[in-house]
Amino acid sequence: MIGYTLRRLGYGVVVMCLVTIFVFVIMRLVPGDAVSLQLQDTGVSKEAADALRAEFGLDDPVWVQLWEWLAGAVRGDLGASFYNKEPVVDLFLARVPVTVQLGLLAMLVGTALGLTVGIIAAVTRGSVTDSALRVFAVAFLSVPNFVVALLLLTAFALWFAWSPPLVYAEPTEDFIGWAQQMAIPVFALGTGGMAAVARLTRSSMLESLGSDYIRTVRAKGVRERTVVLKHSLRNSTIAVLTLLGLELATVLGGTVIIERMFGLPGTGQLIYQAVLDRDYPVVVACTIFYAGLFVITIILIDLLYALVDPRIRTGKALS
Amino acid sequence: MTGKRTLTETRPVPPAPRPPRGAGLRRGLKALRVFMRSQPLGAAALLLICAFVLVALLAPWIAPYDPLEQFRRDILEPPTGAYLFGTDDLGRDVLSRTIHGARTSLIVGVTTTGVSLVLGTMIGVISGYFGRGLDLVVQRVMDSVQAIPGIVLLLFIAVILGPSVRNTIIALTVVITPSFNRIARAETLRVRQEPYVEAARATGAHAPRILALHVLPNMLASVLTLGSLIFAGVIIAESALSFLGIGAPPPTPSWGLMLSEGVRYVERAPWLIIVPSVALSIAVFSFNLLGDSLRDHLDPRLHRSAADRVTGLWWGRRMLSRLAPSLARATEENVSADVTTGGTPRPSEPPR
Repeated sequence: MIGYTLRRLGYGVVVMCLVTIFVFVIMRLVPGDAVSLQLQDTGVSKEAADALRAEFGLDDPVWVQLWEWLAGAVRGDLGASFYNKEPVVDLFLARVPVTVQLGLLAMLVGTALGLTVGIIAAVTRGSVTDSALRVFAVAFLSVPNFVVALLLLTAFALWFAWSPPLVYAEPTEDFIGWAQQMAIPVFALGTGGMAAVARLTRSSMLESLGSDYIRTVRAKGVRERTVVLKHSLRNSTIAVLTLLGLELATVLGGTVIIERMFGLPGTGQLIYQAVLDRDYPVVVACTIFYAGLFVITIILIDLLYALVDPRIRTGKALS
Repeated sequence: MTGKRTLTETRPVPPAPRPPRGAGLRRGLKALRVFMRSQPLGAAALLLICAFVLVALLAPWIAPYDPLEQFRRDILEPPTGAYLFGTDDLGRDVLSRTIHGARTSLIVGVTTTGVSLVLGTMIGVISGYFGRGLDLVVQRVMDSVQAIPGIVLLLFIAVILGPSVRNTIIALTVVITPSFNRIARAETLRVRQEPYVEAARATGAHAPRILALHVLPNMLASVLTLGSLIFAGVIIAESALSFLGIGAPPPTPSWGLMLSEGVRYVERAPWLIIVPSVALSIAVFSFNLLGDSLRDHLDPRLHRSAADRVTGLWWGRRMLSRLAPSLARATEENVSADVTTGGTPRPSEPPR
């Protein structure tokens, strides 16, 4: 198990290094840099622009920039934005709370609804309720989250003549305003997760409801509610947790559109603007953060499975 | 015949009789019939997809107006007899734009899915079959492409190449190819240990022959199933990119673009949002449903033995394999592929 863990971690490190190199190379391929974008209409002389480039280190070859970035990163210095000279770490951390609030709330809503729907569908297997809930789940998987958000916006505007406030308010300052602004994004992001959780809960509960140990539990005379909620549901926990882990990585990385639509100052907005502005340090740091989150999630899931099934870590999973 | 000597002298085997012409087609049709009978939802999905393709192909003849023509007198007209789904802020007919939008979606969907399917499968098969160093390097590169969040990679590529339908296709292909690579590689690792592949190798068949005749046909089902789900993801991604303003440039009729143009008139002209939303959702829904039914129909994992069920690996795989439609990047598919191949994308040693 230790060898397996180390090997997985090793792969993770290699992947992160490759990601860093990719990001640097790709940023170099983007036509125009931050300096020319910033100065394009100001009529500043070419010498001044070159001086600015030298200051940012943009005139160095790409591998020198990569090396300097790595050297800084090891010392905990991820560089500063080209625009307002703020350290990237501060910029990023300032944006994190919004994205985390959004992501966690969406997952909470999605999981709660999904578990409920999944349990009901599993218990009423084969009935009209079950079919209706299944179609409902596939339907919700198929409507992209930004479309859900748009339709909700339209519905509220039409029927209640209400639209969410445009300026983000901290929950500690103006809780009502914050709740009004977060409601639609949270729900839109949560529905996709809900459908996935519901389907998973249903299938894995059906699996366990038909198994021998549940028959034993029933034979003991345990109440049906306890059978379902305790014995059967508990068996689905690892599966659901795995899904949620993956979902977390995607939700946090995939909020760009929703954040832009609702003017939420989260990390998605930060990275979108940074790519458009060629603000290299910000882009590099954000990308590597997200990639790291993804790699760690995948490694954790793999380890979880290896823990559950010894055949995986010995490499004999193929039957 | 390479003239190799065998230990026991055997009579030459007469070549198998050639199947009569059209046999492949007939078999395909039969498989289709069986599928449609066992999966009524899948049959419904196929019908929806046929309708979608027809609408897209026949767009110029079906659409009542030119999608770009601006009727300046009829700006933001609500749905009426003249304009079935109303007009937008430039007086363009929403129905015609939606019908032509199907065209954009289909072009992007078919090209992206097709190219990344072929490319990803090739990379996966070769990397999985030859294994060792090649596999190690190729898979790490694929891992890192996949580790960069899809939207960031798409943003990069769109900014480098500029917004256009062609560049959307290129960007999406880069993002999606690793998914096919994963599943093709996992399937190759599974198939190459089968006795019939070993037998083929023992009779002296070369790698290309084994790959083409034994490995590829055996993974077709999984790859096509993933393809259907990916297609749905591509349609979403295309509209998301257009919505963000980095996909198809205006005035291209694209569902995502129509949505982003309609946002400003949510209160005055809700049909600008509702019509493209419904079109987009139905298209995605039908591909998801098809993929789902195909998976139920073809996936032998769904009929596993009881012994396998208790190990948890089985339902781990199954649950992960059932989730693909939830995300455009089909992340879980990769994880499930990972689990199937032994948890790590390491090259497996040749069987001894």
